[in-house]
Amino acid sequence: MGDFVFYFIALCTCVFSVLAVTQRDIFHCALWLALTLMSISGVYFYLDAAFLGVVQILVYVGGIITLFIFAIKLTAHMNDTSIRQTSKQWVISVFVTLLLLLVLFKVFARTSWAEIILKTDSTSINQIGLSLMTHYALPFEFMSVILLAAMVGAIVIGKEKK
Amino acid sequence: MIPMLLSGLAAIGFIAFSAMFLIWLERKISAWIQNRMGPMMTGFHGTLQPIADTIKLLLKEDIVPKGVDFLSWWLAPFFVTVPVVMAFLVIPFSPKWIALDLNVGVVYICSVTSLCVLGIFMAGWGSNNKYSLLGGMRSAAQIISYEVPLLLSVLLVVMEAGTLSMQGIIHAQSHGWFILKPHLTLAFLIYFISATAEVNRVPFDIPEAESELVAGYHTEYSGMKFAMFFVAEYTNMFIISAIATTLFLGGWQGPWLPGVVWFLLKSYGVIVLLMWMRWTLPRVRMDQMMSFAWKVLTPIALLNILISGWFMVK
Repeated sequence: MGDFVFYFIALCTCVFSVLAVTQRDIFHCALWLALTLMSISGVYFYLDAAFLGVVQILVYVGGIITLFIFAIKLTAHMNDTSIRQTSKQWVISVFVTLLLLLVLFKVFARTSWAEIILKTDSTSINQIGLSLMTHYALPFEFMSVILLAAMVGAIVIGKEKK
Repeated sequence: MIPMLLSGLAAIGFIAFSAMFLIWLERKISAWIQNRMGPMMTGFHGTLQPIADTIKLLLKEDIVPKGVDFLSWWLAPFFVTVPVVMAFLVIPFSPKWIALDLNVGVVYICSVTSLCVLGIFMAGWGSNNKYSLLGGMRSAAQIISYEVPLLLSVLLVVMEAGTLSMQGIIHAQSHGWFILKPHLTLAFLIYFISATAEVNRVPFDIPEAESELVAGYHTEYSGMKFAMFFVAEYTNMFIISAIATTLFLGGWQGPWLPGVVWFLLKSYGVIVLLMWMRWTLPRVRMDQMMSFAWKVLTPIALLNILISGWFMVK
């Protein structure tokens, strides 16, 4: 039963993610992406990592995808199906993607999966909070600076066009 | 497996009956406030009216307008209704009546209810109608903006209780409801205002403002699809009231009566307050509403967290 649930979620994730990059209508792409992210949160729930699953939905589906859709709808001609969906730099991006795939395969091959035992209990949220505020405090703050920079950048780009 | 299925079925049954009851209640309260009688013909004081309405909606033709965006049009009612059912997973009706006491219950219910905005937007876009699109846009903007003060006020409760589990928060209130503490009274007010905006109720009902947008994002829907939007709307109202009951009003705690009764009494009390507001207050303007969220509610909520956090750490 458990295996069946996992394979079902995995199949959904694959199908939705392929649809998310192949559809012509960019609004539909965003919707399929939302479904992909929801399926991934399903994987987290299946692995008993409820906190990760919940945050995945809250941040990605509730926040980011909604903003995507807003951006699509507020940008003129963005919803045109005749719009080109590949950029001029596709050669480089294929190269980078292949490289990333290689790295991921390397990581998969090196990890000894049998040793990983799932340990989740009620203290896991406390542990996440503690490690974010002590051990990972610097990366955590660094991330917020990057986000702030992205926000400022978006405002600057948005203002230039007026 | 079987208990899970049973609790799921119980949740769906409760949603259907609660929505029917709330629609009847809303019509009666509006009539009472406007010095009318409301539905009187079907059953005693119109009690059978919701059942008649349901049968009517089931038998109606499902009209699909020309030029709809097929994917969004068909999926939208599900995107609105499914999160509503999912939210019932962590609502604690009594010490034992909770489907699953997740250790991240509060975050779970907030994240699941935030999914509705996608469905509303899909309905607005998919209908191929300018009123629907305007309603969908307004609704999305409103829900995103008011989610910030809402989550900040919930955060304060979590700080006070020291847990994210719904039952844990109720247990933390065994020596007095959270609403009685001054900083949490402020948090409750912020939560209540934001939650009213989240479910698109008056005075924040501009996504479906009848006088300017016909019916907003569900203008083009008819029959059972419309009914799904309607059920989701009224169940969302129950959910935000249930969250308010859990976080601020002591949940199922209370003397003499069993826990379920107390929980339902408090939740429906909050709903009656919402309905009272709907038939008393005028509608605010879009820009007023947005600036209220960002310039008034969010700073107050942040300050509240800062000051109370200072005293908690000290």
